[in-house]
Amino acid sequence: MESMQLLLERYGAAGYFDEYADADGKPRRHYAALARTLAATDWADFRHRVELVNSVLLQRGVTFTVYADARGTERIMPFDLIPRIIPSGEWEMISAGVAQRVRALNAFVHDVYHEQRILREHRVPYDLVYSSRFYCREMVELDVPRDVYIHVSGIDLIRGDDGKYYVLEDNLRTPSGISYVLENRDALKRSFPQLFESYQPRAVDDYPQRLRNALRLAAPAHVENPTIVLLTPGIYNSAYFEHAMLARRMGAELVEGQDLIVRDNVVYMKTTKGLARVDVIYRRIDDEFIDPLYFRPDSTLGAAGLMNAYRAGNVNLANAIGTGVADDKAIYPYVPEMIDFYFSEQPILANVPTYLCNDEVQRRHVLAHLDELVVKNTNQSGGYGMLMGPYATPAERARFAEAIESNPREFIAQPVIPLSCHPTIVGDEILPRHIDLRPYVLYSEEVEVPPAALTRVALQEGSLVVNSSQGGGTKDTWVMDN
Amino acid sequence: MLSRVAESMYWLSRNIERAETLARMLDVNLNRTMDRYSASSGRAQKVWQSVLSIIGMTADLSAVSARETAQTAFEYCTFSTETRTSILSCIRIARQNALGVRAELSTEVWEAINGLYLFVEAQSPRSIAREGPSSFLRSVRNTTQAIGGVIDATVTHDDAWNFLQIGRFLERSTITSRIVQGHDPSDPSAAELQRLLEMCCASEPFAKVRHLSMEPTEVLDFVLLNAQFPRSVRFCVEEIDAALHRISETVRSTFSNEAERVLGRLLPVLEFVQIEEIVAEGSANFALRLSERLLALGAAVEASYFPRVPVA
Repeated sequence: MESMQLLLERYGAAGYFDEYADADGKPRRHYAALARTLAATDWADFRHRVELVNSVLLQRGVTFTVYADARGTERIMPFDLIPRIIPSGEWEMISAGVAQRVRALNAFVHDVYHEQRILREHRVPYDLVYSSRFYCREMVELDVPRDVYIHVSGIDLIRGDDGKYYVLEDNLRTPSGISYVLENRDALKRSFPQLFESYQPRAVDDYPQRLRNALRLAAPAHVENPTIVLLTPGIYNSAYFEHAMLARRMGAELVEGQDLIVRDNVVYMKTTKGLARVDVIYRRIDDEFIDPLYFRPDSTLGAAGLMNAYRAGNVNLANAIGTGVADDKAIYPYVPEMIDFYFSEQPILANVPTYLCNDEVQRRHVLAHLDELVVKNTNQSGGYGMLMGPYATPAERARFAEAIESNPREFIAQPVIPLSCHPTIVGDEILPRHIDLRPYVLYSEEVEVPPAALTRVALQEGSLVVNSSQGGGTKDTWVMDN
Repeated sequence: MLSRVAESMYWLSRNIERAETLARMLDVNLNRTMDRYSASSGRAQKVWQSVLSIIGMTADLSAVSARETAQTAFEYCTFSTETRTSILSCIRIARQNALGVRAELSTEVWEAINGLYLFVEAQSPRSIAREGPSSFLRSVRNTTQAIGGVIDATVTHDDAWNFLQIGRFLERSTITSRIVQGHDPSDPSAAELQRLLEMCCASEPFAKVRHLSMEPTEVLDFVLLNAQFPRSVRFCVEEIDAALHRISETVRSTFSNEAERVLGRLLPVLEFVQIEEIVAEGSANFALRLSERLLALGAAVEASYFPRVPVA
């Protein structure tokens, strides 16, 4: 029977920055003890544990729904048992970096809907803001409690060939994935306790309490013991499992739009004892579905009159309406500007170089280099609406070229960033696969970054797309104490 | 609690209970048709037709050859997706409802229901033929009964649990009542009474209290009016009454809504009626009136606690 030692010895970095192996192919210092534990494990035993974990996850219903599949199949997100380790020094830099970013983005949202200083001083172009699909004029001059808009966010980071972390994307609307962080840790502890013998990663399971605390502080000023609800689109949503889990662990009511009713600008939920007032809504539905009177009239996911109640200050929404203007992919290149403009600070985490197709010079460059660049649609996320230039067929490139010409505002382009790699179980081997990192950021009075981050892994060889909808998996992420 | 959640709790436990009943009814009757009634006799066909009518199915077995009656009834009650009253449909409905109230259920309850769902979805007529229907039916019965236990042991006994209780006992009393309704008093044979007891899961409990004789009146008294047997109609109705008054926080034997009123009239009948009166009226006739009351009770619970309000 093959031992894991052999597989690890055979492990060769794929020519990218490798989280586990150094330039000589030896495990880095913070992975050394993990390598020893794995090497001492019998391969058949390890495979058995993998199956065990997967059956536990299916039984628990840790699943997501694949939209492209008409039957709405529930699948488990593939979970790779080899954890990703982040040394404490690196994490301090990461958490300071994403916190700085979220503070700046929050200041930007407030500014855009109030004085518009950053626009008037021409640091961010007016037209990019006004043309954003997520700009919401109903938010103009509206004050929200504590001036906090972005209560919960997830910042996607990648690590390049130089070993430096870069921000790939800000997710400021309804980022999901935290349930995998909690479930992965739990599953790994149960199925492979030996791994924890030489490590004590920082615990992640207090995230729901931290979130509840942040939501409590988001209540309208006059409310002392706010009623918090989590608004879900319902059981067919791909992240429903997560909604149910967070509501349960926070002790908050999980509501659907049909459970809410608005009377005299106050939001209530319909209970067996009549109507009960709601103060804070952690909503996991997009802006456009919130209120059929203001936004999409065909939406049954929100509640009619909710926006009026929000504007009257009788209920608070987390996140606020209209935060999407700040995570628009065409606004992303300006985040370093924001950090400088609002705080006179240097960005701790760098952006990936980005071309805005809206700008004629940059557009011409993009069109001439389509075979080298990644093109992204500013209105889509989750790995949908993307062109991976070097791997695309000429026909696909031609289709994107045409789309860019006819609608330049909707596209940006970036060089292909070689994501770092991490040892991953693939069939009967341990092979390097590309990964990213999504720390979650909570903003109440202060910005806090719980040591609960999601590592996604692209399971296909060579693939740089880690989204779950595109065949990605996850790993447990260990943030180390000193 | 949310009205939607209350409704899901109610239907969740009704359907788990129904799946359990189906599994037991099938097992009892399959077992008996193997040796007691030769498969080709018209007797087996009559038995299966009455089983279908007890569980409220309209399928007509007269077109099926006598030999295939049992198999046809079995497949229909197990895997048919045309009816909401097959084991597969019940478990799908239960799981669908559980999914919608996942945040309110304990992890243990959810996992038990999801596990049962995954198990039943993975079965096929072929896989069941291989092992014999009995092992499948036993698994369904064991798991559905275990879910009841997990619910009692891990869900806070608040309103959510009260609605689970109402669903469970309303379904259970309904089925017992319908079994009595389908019982033919002109056949007082011990075998037929034994079948009735087994379908009510009452065979051993009855033998314990009446170990010497098996009089038809005693059997009917036991499954309809016994105060301690947890499947008698009276016991179930008591439980529903208690749950309703815990929800409304009112004193029992008063009423604050239609459900409590319907129940308030029904309960004294079951407490004070004598079995001789029932036999004199005709047990099937009494059970028919009982079933109608229980139906009205279900409608009243729905109207009181999860009214169909048009979405504004």
